[in-house]
Amino acid sequence: MAYSSILDWIQFRDMMANPFYPYDTYNLPFDISYKLWEILGGLIAWLVNLIIPGNGLSTWLISDEVSNAFALILFMVVIFLVAFVVTLLSLWMERKVLGRLMDRRGTMIGLKGFLQNVADGLKTFMKENVIPRRVDKMTYMWTVSLVIGTSVLIACMIPLSERWYVVSYGTGLLIIMAIFALAPFFILVSGWAQNNKYSLIGGMRAAELMISYEVPMLIMIATTCLMAGSFSIFDIVNMQGDTVWFFIPQIIGFITFIFCATAEAERVPFDIAEAEAELVEGWQTEYAGMKWGLIMLADYLRGYVSCAMVVIMYLGGWLIPFASDGINGLLPEVVFLTKVWIVFFAMVILRGALARVRTDQIVNIGWKVFMPLSVVNLAVVLLLKFGGVF
Amino acid sequence: MMSRDIIDVKAETSALNTQKMWVIMGPQHPFSHGLWTLKAQLDGEIVVDAEPIIGYLHRGWEKECENRTYPKIIPMADRLCYAASMTYTHLYCMTVEKALGIDIPEKAKYIRIMADEICRIQSHLMWLAAVGTDLGNLTVFLWAMREREFFMDLNVRMCGARMTTNFPRIGGVRNDIDDEFAMFATRCVERFEKALWDIIAMVDDSSIFVSRMKGTGILTRERCANLGITGPAMRGTGVDFDVRRDDPYDNYDQMDFVVPVLKDGDSYSRYRVRIEEMFQSCKIIKQALQKVKAIGRNAPYRLKVPSKVPAGRAFMRMEDPRGESMMYLVSDGSEKPYRLKVRSPIFVNVSAAKPLVQGCRIADVPAVMAMIDMCLGETDR
Amino acid sequence: MAKKEYLDKYPRSTARSLWVMTPIVKVLRLLGKTIIHRPVTVLYPYEKMWMPENYRGRPGLRFDRCIACSMCVRMCPTACIKLVETEDASGQKVMRPQVNVGRCAMCGYCAEYCPVDAMTVTPEFELAEYTREDLIYGPKRLAYDGITEKMEIHLEETLMSDIENGNPERRVSPFKTDRPVLEASKCISCKKCEKVCPVNAVKMVEHGVNEKGRPILYPEFNNDTCVCCKNCVEDCPKDALHINEVL
Repeated sequence: MAYSSILDWIQFRDMMANPFYPYDTYNLPFDISYKLWEILGGLIAWLVNLIIPGNGLSTWLISDEVSNAFALILFMVVIFLVAFVVTLLSLWMERKVLGRLMDRRGTMIGLKGFLQNVADGLKTFMKENVIPRRVDKMTYMWTVSLVIGTSVLIACMIPLSERWYVVSYGTGLLIIMAIFALAPFFILVSGWAQNNKYSLIGGMRAAELMISYEVPMLIMIATTCLMAGSFSIFDIVNMQGDTVWFFIPQIIGFITFIFCATAEAERVPFDIAEAEAELVEGWQTEYAGMKWGLIMLADYLRGYVSCAMVVIMYLGGWLIPFASDGINGLLPEVVFLTKVWIVFFAMVILRGALARVRTDQIVNIGWKVFMPLSVVNLAVVLLLKFGGVF
Repeated sequence: MMSRDIIDVKAETSALNTQKMWVIMGPQHPFSHGLWTLKAQLDGEIVVDAEPIIGYLHRGWEKECENRTYPKIIPMADRLCYAASMTYTHLYCMTVEKALGIDIPEKAKYIRIMADEICRIQSHLMWLAAVGTDLGNLTVFLWAMREREFFMDLNVRMCGARMTTNFPRIGGVRNDIDDEFAMFATRCVERFEKALWDIIAMVDDSSIFVSRMKGTGILTRERCANLGITGPAMRGTGVDFDVRRDDPYDNYDQMDFVVPVLKDGDSYSRYRVRIEEMFQSCKIIKQALQKVKAIGRNAPYRLKVPSKVPAGRAFMRMEDPRGESMMYLVSDGSEKPYRLKVRSPIFVNVSAAKPLVQGCRIADVPAVMAMIDMCLGETDR
Repeated sequence: MAKKEYLDKYPRSTARSLWVMTPIVKVLRLLGKTIIHRPVTVLYPYEKMWMPENYRGRPGLRFDRCIACSMCVRMCPTACIKLVETEDASGQKVMRPQVNVGRCAMCGYCAEYCPVDAMTVTPEFELAEYTREDLIYGPKRLAYDGITEKMEIHLEETLMSDIENGNPERRVSPFKTDRPVLEASKCISCKKCEKVCPVNAVKMVEHGVNEKGRPILYPEFNNDTCVCCKNCVEDCPKDALHINEVL
């Protein structure tokens, strides 16, 4: 090839034709990142070629393998940025809605208060990185890193549509659930590591909370998977498109799952691990500065994932009811995120309306209310399945 | 979850041989409204022992009063309690009037009653707000504070200050109230009587709130008497006593109101007593406004009193929003008091902290202590 | 007979299902309300709450009316008022109050006990400064534009004797009734009362001579101009003066 003008370097090739393309189907974020790298790498290659004509680096930069590798790096950034912005938007929504229903205004800084999140992030970023003297430094650091890391991981793993996913596992829902359930263990260890009584109690409570909601939640996930006949998120959503949304047959499970998801995300009324009235900030007491800011971000990422799971399992994912395939294929990501925000709105309303439950009450609710309800839900689904409705 | 038995909580102790640990809650802890500390010994999550520590806010109030002339103590008495400043000022003025042996004009009495009840509502709303945050709901907090703001506005219209009102005077009140104020006060009270139902619906119709309060912090009638607890905390345990009704000062004997008494003795009954008291206060305000109107525009509202109090002693007590507050004045015949002793209800009520929280879970400690309605300004003085 | 409003209706039956629905409905209703109307929050720096004219902010001073009687200094519970020397419009040296607003408790006593209503309350409440020295308001700075009638606080008291005499509607100010009285046997004719009187109501009158041949001077009080500021009573070295309180 001649490689004389810039257009020779930036050639929008078809990524599906790339032999190293990692997916079987079309993937929109990868497409975006691939095109981004075509522009970026092409520009760099062109510039390098201008200075030293005919070198090997330029052609290497736009070769298939290297394009794919750099596109994957950009892919990660794109996926995380979308999850991040979605989280910030839900954080902003929580602040505004919670403010309005309390008869106040919520945040007010810029863009109807959205820039307050940016200001908060900057502020926590600027703060001194304080580590208390007598904490177990290693554990103190890696537990919080893992809490934040797993939260970011699952937030990125949520598929927004059939063309927006990271990995299309056959067992997608189960893997998200497994990583989701990891964080309480790290919280428990972190509570021990902080050498603070409040943190210790907070960590213990996180474990207490987990044993109370995790089992009914898993039963309900199993129920949904049973109904769809698959663990794959795409299968579950497509099944809902083919029949009805699962919240109609599983109305008991839907309501129970919303409460369980609230507990999973550690939000009011189930935020006993960081109950600020009695334990100062629970297991987050000794974390300051950017660590605390990232914990808050992780909290909201987990909230986003909880809502996304409700949407995937019960509200038909990215599908619009009674719409043709053409309409469904237009902006499924936006439809999905809108549904996520509607569920998150319900969570915010719960937070505004309810108080925090006690530790023994959450165990009671988990085992005496949620557990039977989830089993009843399972029974209903089994009946439907045997009756041949699904 | 809702039908949690009382005995069940008390009997719940760890079967394991665990190590007990002391947790210091306060003085800078979200649960301690003000500067006080609760040392709690925990067995797992259950409190087995507790010890309240006060004294962080000691300002030498009583000693300071000995260096001031009588009118100058009035602004200081405002600052005994920020939530209900008018009641202590009222009490101080009554004590000095008793030492002087004078009877103040009727109109001043009714204005004082009205101002007192406005302050009682303010204080109870502040308490309701604290209950909201202690149980983990910020909506109740902000709604209660919003309602409180209207009564603050009433205070501004009445005497020009929002919180530290400096309104009662020895021998009467600072200024007369006009018809405009009476109109605003009636409207505000009538509005409040409707708006309070919203907050009640938030708390009483919520199973989480009720189950958090029901059956926790039990105080029996005998224990209450032994500890000297007064106020709504006492009336929640079944003791039917209210200074306003049983030993009326000013003109409370001409007011028509009900003293709510409940027998359960748990946090929820204390909560309900306070809510009912707010409604009764609204009634008293409306009655007092009518009486003031009936007395007439030109009636005297402030007596000229001598600057020197004759040597002797005087004692008065009154029903504070938090309990029974008393003042004891020793005068040596000069312009300044020889000794002024304040008996604050919370100073006594906080001694109930140990029996209240023993056997509770640590999550219940804020909820139980919120029902005592701590105010450290008057406790430490 | 008054009835119980709340206790008659609550507690509701525990068997009611959906026991968390009422708060959710209430919250949603307020949310809808605040989306249509505005919330109650007052956006403070941009908009301010309405304050009545008699709002007790910082003290204000009407320079020309003040007679430097130091009544405000005496009554201030936090001792934040001090008389300082300043110049009036004609360049003459006069004493006027200076207020340390950092210590001021906004109790309004200075305005209430001012015999000539020179001190007033003002609705000014934004008093933050960068240094503590800036918080000290001198006599000129204490002036407030637009002092109205309602910002003055008149001390209107009813005499107990008036109520007994069946004349309860009469209001008097103690500055009009109370007057200093001399106990002549204690007086040493030092003329201090004459010097400290802000309104020159004290006049030393000769009452013969003493055994050394010096004139004996006793103060005489002009009841019309006296404002009952108690300066003479406080400064009397022999406690020969006291205030006769009319009750």
